[in-house]
Amino acid sequence: MPARVLFFGATADITGHREIEISVSDDLTAEAALKEIVRNLPGLGSHKLLISINQQYAAQDEIIRDGDELAIFTAVSGG
Amino acid sequence: MDFFELTTEPLDITSVARRVVPPECGATVTLDGYARRFTKDRETGEVRETLHLVYEAYEPMAIKEMEKLVKAAHEQFEITNVGIVHRLGKLEIGETSIVISVAAPHRKDAFAACEWLIRELKRTVPIWKKEVYADGEQWVEGELVTQMS
Repeated sequence: MPARVLFFGATADITGHREIEISVSDDLTAEAALKEIVRNLPGLGSHKLLISINQQYAAQDEIIRDGDELAIFTAVSGG
Repeated sequence: MDFFELTTEPLDITSVARRVVPPECGATVTLDGYARRFTKDRETGEVRETLHLVYEAYEPMAIKEMEKLVKAAHEQFEITNVGIVHRLGKLEIGETSIVISVAAPHRKDAFAACEWLIRELKRTVPIWKKEVYADGEQWVEGELVTQMS
């Protein structure tokens, strides 16, 4: 089962996607997944990005598993 | 009782504030954050006029992050109840985007906790603000929690 990747705000506008799917290889880290996604959606490259896994901020070396819900977004600006 | 909510409806500040008042408290501090018309660009210093704002959230994660903040606030400050309600969608200038109410036995803790909560919320809760101008629009990018790329 692939992992879902959600985009919000700026990242949704830049990519033209609200959600994509990525295939999950063995030992895929959050950092590696982010790099791969930026490679495929180059508009993201000029922004500083955060990644979450299953609705928690992810550490760079956190491993992504099948069926996980990722999100990629710019620094938050609520309030 | 604590609460943390997202809504697309206009916010009523007083009704949020009154929901956090227990009998052992002597003070509630309430932040009324609202949409500002004039914003100074942090890099160029240029002042731009905003016509309206649009807020978007990663809703389930935003609720979880708000819950974490409220828990951490209870650990740091002597407070009794916290209520946070953030508005989403399109906001006209002057409309309230966020209400944070903190009830405490004494006002000092309520002020300190309210300030801490808004500062942390702006850093960690996945909500984004788009400023719409006469000649364009942009998603505001805040301070990074941790930088990954």
